[in-house]
Amino acid sequence: MRVWAVSLNTFKETIRNRVMVNILIFAIGLILLSLVIGDWSMGQQVKVIKDFGLSAMSLFGLLIAIFIGIRLMVQEFEQRTIYVIASKPIHRWEILLGKYLGLGITLAVNVIFMSLALWGADLFMEGKIDFGLAPAILLIYIEILLVVMLALFFSSFVSPNLSAIFTILVFIIGHLSAFLRDYVQLHPENSYNWVLKLIYWVVPNLEMLNIKMAVVEHLERPPHAVTYGFFYGIGYILILLVFTVAIFNKKDFK
Amino acid sequence: MANLAIRTEGLTKIYTEVTRGGLRRRKIVGLEDLNCEVEEGEVYAFIGPNGAGKTTTIKLLTRLLYPTKGRVWILGQLNTSRASMKRIGYLPEQPHLYGYLSGREFLDFVARIFGLDSKTRKKRVPELLEKVGLENRASVLIRNYSRGMVQRLGLAQALINDPLLLILDEPMASLDPLGRKDFRDIILELKKEGKTIFFSSHILSDAEMIADRVGMLNKGKLISVGKLDDLIGSNVTSVEVTFTIEPAKLSEMNLKQEDVVVCDRSVMIRLRKEEAVSEILKRIDKFGGKIISVIPQRKSLEDIFMAEIRR
Repeated sequence: MRVWAVSLNTFKETIRNRVMVNILIFAIGLILLSLVIGDWSMGQQVKVIKDFGLSAMSLFGLLIAIFIGIRLMVQEFEQRTIYVIASKPIHRWEILLGKYLGLGITLAVNVIFMSLALWGADLFMEGKIDFGLAPAILLIYIEILLVVMLALFFSSFVSPNLSAIFTILVFIIGHLSAFLRDYVQLHPENSYNWVLKLIYWVVPNLEMLNIKMAVVEHLERPPHAVTYGFFYGIGYILILLVFTVAIFNKKDFK
Repeated sequence: MANLAIRTEGLTKIYTEVTRGGLRRRKIVGLEDLNCEVEEGEVYAFIGPNGAGKTTTIKLLTRLLYPTKGRVWILGQLNTSRASMKRIGYLPEQPHLYGYLSGREFLDFVARIFGLDSKTRKKRVPELLEKVGLENRASVLIRNYSRGMVQRLGLAQALINDPLLLILDEPMASLDPLGRKDFRDIILELKKEGKTIFFSSHILSDAEMIADRVGMLNKGKLISVGKLDDLIGSNVTSVEVTFTIEPAKLSEMNLKQEDVVVCDRSVMIRLRKEEAVSEILKRIDKFGGKIISVIPQRKSLEDIFMAEIRR
């Protein structure tokens, strides 16, 4: 009940936020723009539309996740709205989980709207809807959820700007972790390899959640790639949630 | 002994302040060894200048801050228990409420946190909006409220759970004189309903008007506690008697010149002793004077507070 109350409130906050609505409209516009871009690519229209659409969904989902996620938490402290809620008979983990779930619902709504735009463009071009994109969309959503959790985690102990920088850094490194591993294997003599290995193990491998190319090109995927990616993402989210709750629980609301 | 609404034992808060880009840390005492008891049903004012530790105390009571040392009991239970928090209503200093919600939506949200069911919420929310005079602004977004309206809504959210104990941080600081009067009336009404009210203020006249007992705080230390009647009531320093009389009759009265102020036919006498009042009233009557007022002059809470600080 209490977690749900906070979630619902967070959802209201985000849908009443003009910045988020503008980003969403822009993202949907861009996905629909892929119809024009697709026209320029000889015989590859459908693939370009899907590839462009999924990438736009991923990018704008992440933008909303990072900026709205950090802003929501920071505002609670800067505007001191947290005083009213945290002094009520509610556990701090319930506030955090409620905020996170509320953001999760908002992001789900965003992803659904962007998916509808993408499928609409697909229907227009192909005359049918490619539901084969759904697993890629699901993993994009999990990736966005993971990035929001990272943003909440960082904003629980560093400034909003640093939090945004750290989240973007983890996002970039997370997509390059295979290169890190390969680099260490190719250059075993480097003295700083232990740092790279540590980063490789700590930072989530976000390529596990990226099957965009495979679904667009109809490539064969490793068995259970979607299931494995799904639980990998959820596992990371849960671990980060535990750490964030631990930090949040010890925090003095000055 | 009466039941205690609040009891603190050795409550201490030391802040660590990071300076010079995180290179230096220094300790700042926010509150030192506070032992305080507030009885059920009383209005207790916590007074002191800005930075005295009033807000720190309130945040420690409401678990927004964790104490460096010491413990807090709320209505007989440690404030670490969620059950004790269910019986508190808290209004922060200059509350900031969610601007994207309307007054009604905000109260409904707070009611949900307290776990009130839909039927109770539907009854309680309009009741409280009416109590604080916001029934006509219930659907307006809070971001469009004035400071006074936010303060009223803040009080309404503090009352949503029908608390036994109300903790109010500087409740009247940002209100205009009319708003302060309304707020005082609401507090006195709540007192009549049997609620315990613990409030902080640096406006001593507010405390003087509504508090039963006062705790004086300065530089993180409780310097004095007492009933308002004990602090102020017995401290009649003089009595001012004002009357009108013919100038010729006034000279016949033969009053001590240093205690008399004459303005046309009006005369004001300051009497050093309360006992002298009846005697002077008889004399004014005998010489044909007409009494306008008899006002006992007391030490104000401010006088007492300043004396305590200087001590």
